[in-house]
Amino acid sequence: MAPEEQVAAAMAPLSRRRFLRWSLLASSAAIGVGVGAASWLSRSEQDQLPLPDALQHLTQSEFLLFRRATEVLLPLSGTRLASIDTVPVLHNIDAMMGLLSQSVRKELAAGLAVFDYAALVSGWHGKRFIDLDSNEAVAYFDRWSQGNSVQRALATVIKKFVYVAYWRDPATWPAIEFDGPVSDRWGLPSLGNTPMPNETANVKKEGETQ
Amino acid sequence: MTQHNKISVSVNSTEKASSHFRAKGLNVVEGRTLNGDVRLRANVVIVGSGAGGSVVAYELARQGLSVLVLEAGPYVPSEKFSEDFTQSLEHLYADAGAQTNKEGDLLVLQGACVGGSTVVNACAAFRTPDFILRDWQEKFGLVGLSPESMLPYFERVEKHLSVEENGEHEIAKHSQLARQGANKLGWSVKPLKRNIRDCALTGHCLSGCKTDRKQSMLVTYLPWALASGASLYSDVMVTRVKATDGRANGVIAEVRNADGAVQANIEVSADLVVVAAGAIQSPLLLQKSELANSSDQVGRNFACHPSLFVAARYPMPVHPWRGALVGVYIDEFMLPEKGGFILEAGGLGAVELCLVTEPGTGAPFVDYMRDAKHYSGIVTLIHDHNVGRISWQDGEKRIDYALADEDFESMLAALAAAARVHFAAGAEKVFVPSTQSLQINSEAEIDQVLAELRNAPQVLRMVSYHPQGTCRMGADPANSVVSEGGECHDVAGLYVADASLFPTSIIVNPQVTVYAMASRIADQILARRDEYFSEMTG
Repeated sequence: MAPEEQVAAAMAPLSRRRFLRWSLLASSAAIGVGVGAASWLSRSEQDQLPLPDALQHLTQSEFLLFRRATEVLLPLSGTRLASIDTVPVLHNIDAMMGLLSQSVRKELAAGLAVFDYAALVSGWHGKRFIDLDSNEAVAYFDRWSQGNSVQRALATVIKKFVYVAYWRDPATWPAIEFDGPVSDRWGLPSLGNTPMPNETANVKKEGETQ
Repeated sequence: MTQHNKISVSVNSTEKASSHFRAKGLNVVEGRTLNGDVRLRANVVIVGSGAGGSVVAYELARQGLSVLVLEAGPYVPSEKFSEDFTQSLEHLYADAGAQTNKEGDLLVLQGACVGGSTVVNACAAFRTPDFILRDWQEKFGLVGLSPESMLPYFERVEKHLSVEENGEHEIAKHSQLARQGANKLGWSVKPLKRNIRDCALTGHCLSGCKTDRKQSMLVTYLPWALASGASLYSDVMVTRVKATDGRANGVIAEVRNADGAVQANIEVSADLVVVAAGAIQSPLLLQKSELANSSDQVGRNFACHPSLFVAARYPMPVHPWRGALVGVYIDEFMLPEKGGFILEAGGLGAVELCLVTEPGTGAPFVDYMRDAKHYSGIVTLIHDHNVGRISWQDGEKRIDYALADEDFESMLAALAAAARVHFAAGAEKVFVPSTQSLQINSEAEIDQVLAELRNAPQVLRMVSYHPQGTCRMGADPANSVVSEGGECHDVAGLYVADASLFPTSIIVNPQVTVYAMASRIADQILARRDEYFSEMTG
């Protein structure tokens, strides 16, 4: 069985279960089936990079994954869009992670690990996602976007985290003329609560039945 | 600590109620102020402060009953609304805006705050289509829900909520384009009706109306109910409905602190319990209470109007975030025999734009977002079948919902129709709301491109704002949960008053249907008040 087929086969049972509802055990199994023979390849020089102190919810491997994903998904150099250096994308992702329920967070952690490590065999890259060059990483995302339901889900959810983390920042809005919040800026007055309806004719006396 | 709170005597005159009316904000008892064991007593305890619960609360309180409303979500005063969609998702919506089906390809957006989904909806106000009500009569024996008998309830709630047809100034550029396209195709297109007063055209409906123009429960039925003597508690999660000998008599609830620990246990004794927590939480509460489910229908029959946002690029700037959020709708295909779907022209902001489609990875996405001001959108709503199920498994809610094959065909038909409208209005390109990158460059390509789609998980990017059907109403206790009067077949004094009652999906936005059915249910309760309420609490 080709490596990509091995990964797909390992994921097939997962695709019949809840989105991201795989356990860490299942994750390990998926990785084990697909990449166990090449475990030495799973090391990355980036693993030595320290996790920024400001991040409270991302693990180091997730930090590395999202850092690389941000670079790949938002190639903003040469555009008028706000540079990713000026937008706290990873900080925002970290905060969004903190809002997930414990069970979903656990499932997502497993899924992110699968996405990173499956690149060792998926596409014959022989290295983790975080070590793919830009063209390889784009191709990897695109392949997963057309893969099985779990692959599509993971590619989509990683993109969503990065996109939302970037575009939620007000610094990104002027470039596209997005207005953001306007009521305060426009000085709109509140209308308050709507006056009570005039029900005098309909009010029943206490104890009166309809 | 034990608190023996007594719900205050309701005030039974409009003059007296008006004197208690607050011009702004709500007098809410916030759960964080409660500790230990709390015991409360009321004639009626209502679970949920959304469209159903608020209407029932007001209609009963104004007739002299003591009413207690328990809301699981927080109280967020409108001045604290951020007009930032991501922040709003995190603070006003269920599961911080991440509530999905088990496959993760259907985002189910529900308000989870005082006022419920009425706080964050788009204000679109439709009466239940006549053919839907007739269908309910014929298939579910709901003879009392005829168009004629429901008419006074529709009229009442529409009057209370200032439901009016959009004026021309409320037809934003995105809606003008949809209307132009529909007119060119010869399709029926109409201004939407909305429950709003003096719309300020901010486009931020989904983040709550910061200046109280949207006539949500937050500024209408809830303040009216409180002025009429009702009490409202926020941050209180009802965990169980109490019943003895087939008769509901209260609820058990709890308040949890930020760490998730229980800080207050609440027990409410009541003559009547009204469950109005929405079509996902209501069946879960009944399941956890092990009540009202002899038919095995509690949680089944979930439908949700799975919708797609079909974005298109236009040569001229549209600024889809500007103006009233929804302007017009296309009802050419509304009848089931014509397709069973409607199209609503709608706006969206920067974050939403990057979620609705897959333009491609890297540079194609950057190019897509660079042109954000050139996009316009159309939302599809289909008459989906009740194929889903809500259940409580392993300590968590589970939403099972996969598109039926026939509903997938409806989705494709609606998607194709939306694309045709866009091209008729002059769009250059239509973005398919799928997980794979698919774009349509001309009307001639529509069928060919859509043929790429198949009915499988994680193919379409679906969003539901309209969960419904999970405690369905019907005449036959063998296949329904609730009677035509709103009372559970199995449990006396236990009512349901939210969209979980709908026996089928209704195609259109459901808020007015919920308001009207809740009004009717309140009348049904009042008609039996001697039976339920031996004494007025006070």
